[in-house]
Amino acid sequence: MVERIDSRPRSSTTTTAFVATLKRELILAYKRKHDVVNPFMFFLIVATLFPIGISPEPERLSLIAAGALWIAALLASLLAMDNLYRADYEDGSLEQMLLSPQPLYFMVLAKNIGHWLVSGLPVVLVSPLIAYMLSLPEGSYMTLFLTLLMGTPVLSLLGSIGVALTVGLGSRGLILAVITLPMSVPVLIAGTMAVTETQNGASLAGYLAIMGALLLGTLTLAPLASAAALRISVS
Amino acid sequence: MWTWFHQLGSPKWFYELTGRWLPWLVAAMSLLLLVGIVWALLFVPPDYQQGNTIRIMYIHVPFASISLAFFPLMAIAGTVTLVWKIKLADMIAKTAAPLGAWFTALALASGSIWGSDIWGTWWIWDGRLTSMLLQLFLLIGVISLRSALEDTDAAAKACAVLSIVGCINVFVIKYSVDWWNTLHQPASPITTSGEGPNGPEIWVPLVIMIFAIYLFFAVALILSTRNEILQRERRAQWVQDLVRTA
Amino acid sequence: MSHATQASESTDSVTPPPNTELLLAARNLFCERDDRVLFKNLDFAVRPGQVLQVRGSNGSGKTTLLRIVCGLNDSYEGELSWCGEPVADVADDFYANLLFLGHRVGVSKALTPLENLRWTCTLNSAVDDAELLAALATVGLRGFEESQCFTLSAGQQQRVALARLLLSPARLWVLDEPFTTLDVRGVTQLEAMLHNHAAQGGSVLVTTHHPLNVPDLEVLDLG
Repeated sequence: MVERIDSRPRSSTTTTAFVATLKRELILAYKRKHDVVNPFMFFLIVATLFPIGISPEPERLSLIAAGALWIAALLASLLAMDNLYRADYEDGSLEQMLLSPQPLYFMVLAKNIGHWLVSGLPVVLVSPLIAYMLSLPEGSYMTLFLTLLMGTPVLSLLGSIGVALTVGLGSRGLILAVITLPMSVPVLIAGTMAVTETQNGASLAGYLAIMGALLLGTLTLAPLASAAALRISVS
Repeated sequence: MWTWFHQLGSPKWFYELTGRWLPWLVAAMSLLLLVGIVWALLFVPPDYQQGNTIRIMYIHVPFASISLAFFPLMAIAGTVTLVWKIKLADMIAKTAAPLGAWFTALALASGSIWGSDIWGTWWIWDGRLTSMLLQLFLLIGVISLRSALEDTDAAAKACAVLSIVGCINVFVIKYSVDWWNTLHQPASPITTSGEGPNGPEIWVPLVIMIFAIYLFFAVALILSTRNEILQRERRAQWVQDLVRTA
Repeated sequence: MSHATQASESTDSVTPPPNTELLLAARNLFCERDDRVLFKNLDFAVRPGQVLQVRGSNGSGKTTLLRIVCGLNDSYEGELSWCGEPVADVADDFYANLLFLGHRVGVSKALTPLENLRWTCTLNSAVDDAELLAALATVGLRGFEESQCFTLSAGQQQRVALARLLLSPARLWVLDEPFTTLDVRGVTQLEAMLHNHAAQGGSVLVTTHHPLNVPDLEVLDLG
């Protein structure tokens, strides 16, 4: 009645575990739609506040459009990060992930990628529309889109460290912001500078190279820090 | 090697050793501070451009230069905590964070006062001030993470990870802010190099003040680490003996 | 349940360990938490085929001990060895052979039992959906495979986790209070699983106050 089912003991590979974790993250996002929709709505609302708070005049808006979009994306990413590990921590799935014989680095990476696909990518995709509403100067759309496309994963990967460190805390809203936001400054600088400087005639390639370097650096190092932080938080 | 390492990691050994060092350190610090401050305030000639305002440099530069040392220090202590599980390293890291926040805040405040005269405003988004401010935020992040985590051991390791990440980040922030700043406005008028009209009568007291503030930092770090040792080792026999005889 | 029993010839595809006497051994464990010594000079060992029941009053460190064994908690002193080697040296083999079931059973409420089981099993071993469905049916969740877990009772969620016991090739099971929330039939079934696992040469480290009926049982009392 309770015979073991493992007819052929086959060990899973890192790739299958990576894919399974990525799929699980996407399924979870599909089932908890509000977790995906909330940060997206937050992004739209924050972006709307800039014209109201600063000025509706297109000339003034066009000066701040890129910065406003980046800051809105940064805050939305921070808000979205909160549920990256929390549910898994509470129901014990995180423990199972830590005890897998597969390297935790790739499991964390899979979760980060899955999370960015559902929370970061929608923001990137809608950004040209918001940029238009904020009177972003002609010719800057591609720059903004590409830098957001490369920069928002960096925000997610950095935020993941902060969330991993604070996942065991009851209330952590402000701590997460204090830890994560200063770390995001280089990306913010690279992203907004790319837009303003290409308007002044600088080449886009250089800025994409800088953004790419930031992305590669965080892609390699941040999951290591997240993994170490998760082990600490679970113990 | 290992016995040496573990002896170094023993809080009792640290407590006794620093107990012997402290009087000398305090004496040297007081002497240098006295000489440095008197020299800087009374005997340094006024700057040909900035007048007497230049004297605040003798406070600002030492604090600013030592503020840069905190994240590397905490990252090294954090690495020792994570790799060798030496508790003393974490005690030093724990006391270094609030000290770092104070030193950074003082560097910011003195820079702002200096700026109020030469720029005519208390705050500008100068590259150094901006990265200093961001470093202050990162330090506050480490402090608040430490206070939020109840378990000492978990807090030690979590702060170690955050300090290492923060250390890398401080350097990236510094470079990116400098780059951002050079494109937005001309470079900062605050220069610490001893070129131009600056002769030895300018930089010798500065060097004295730098050493004095470094010693002040060492004394403050040692004193608060000793407090932390007594607090954490309160159940150890040697601490109880110490308390009984005191 | 019939299709769940397929021929299982051998689970030992790994090379035989140098010391087959002991699967897991702990020597001189010491752990303190919040200035309170939970245990010191603690020695224990688990042979293949043995069930080690950890008992003790609330707060005696049962859960902490289990988490130390799994490597989820590293604030302890002492040595842990797996097949005669320090666990840190053979971590890959150890984790490939470890199945842990904690208080928080690792079942996501938003996912269905099938999705949950698929992910947790894939972390350790390759499984196909037929095997997953068979395991879920065996633990009495036939018909619930596609319902989200928040609609299930606590006992049913526990059963989702127990289904992993049927699919895992792990030799060492570490179970923290697995009998709580189970009904009478569930208890009998879990007992049979433990019995079976031990009969096949597996080992179990389990905290419970439930009297266990297995041939090779040892009790570790933490006081």
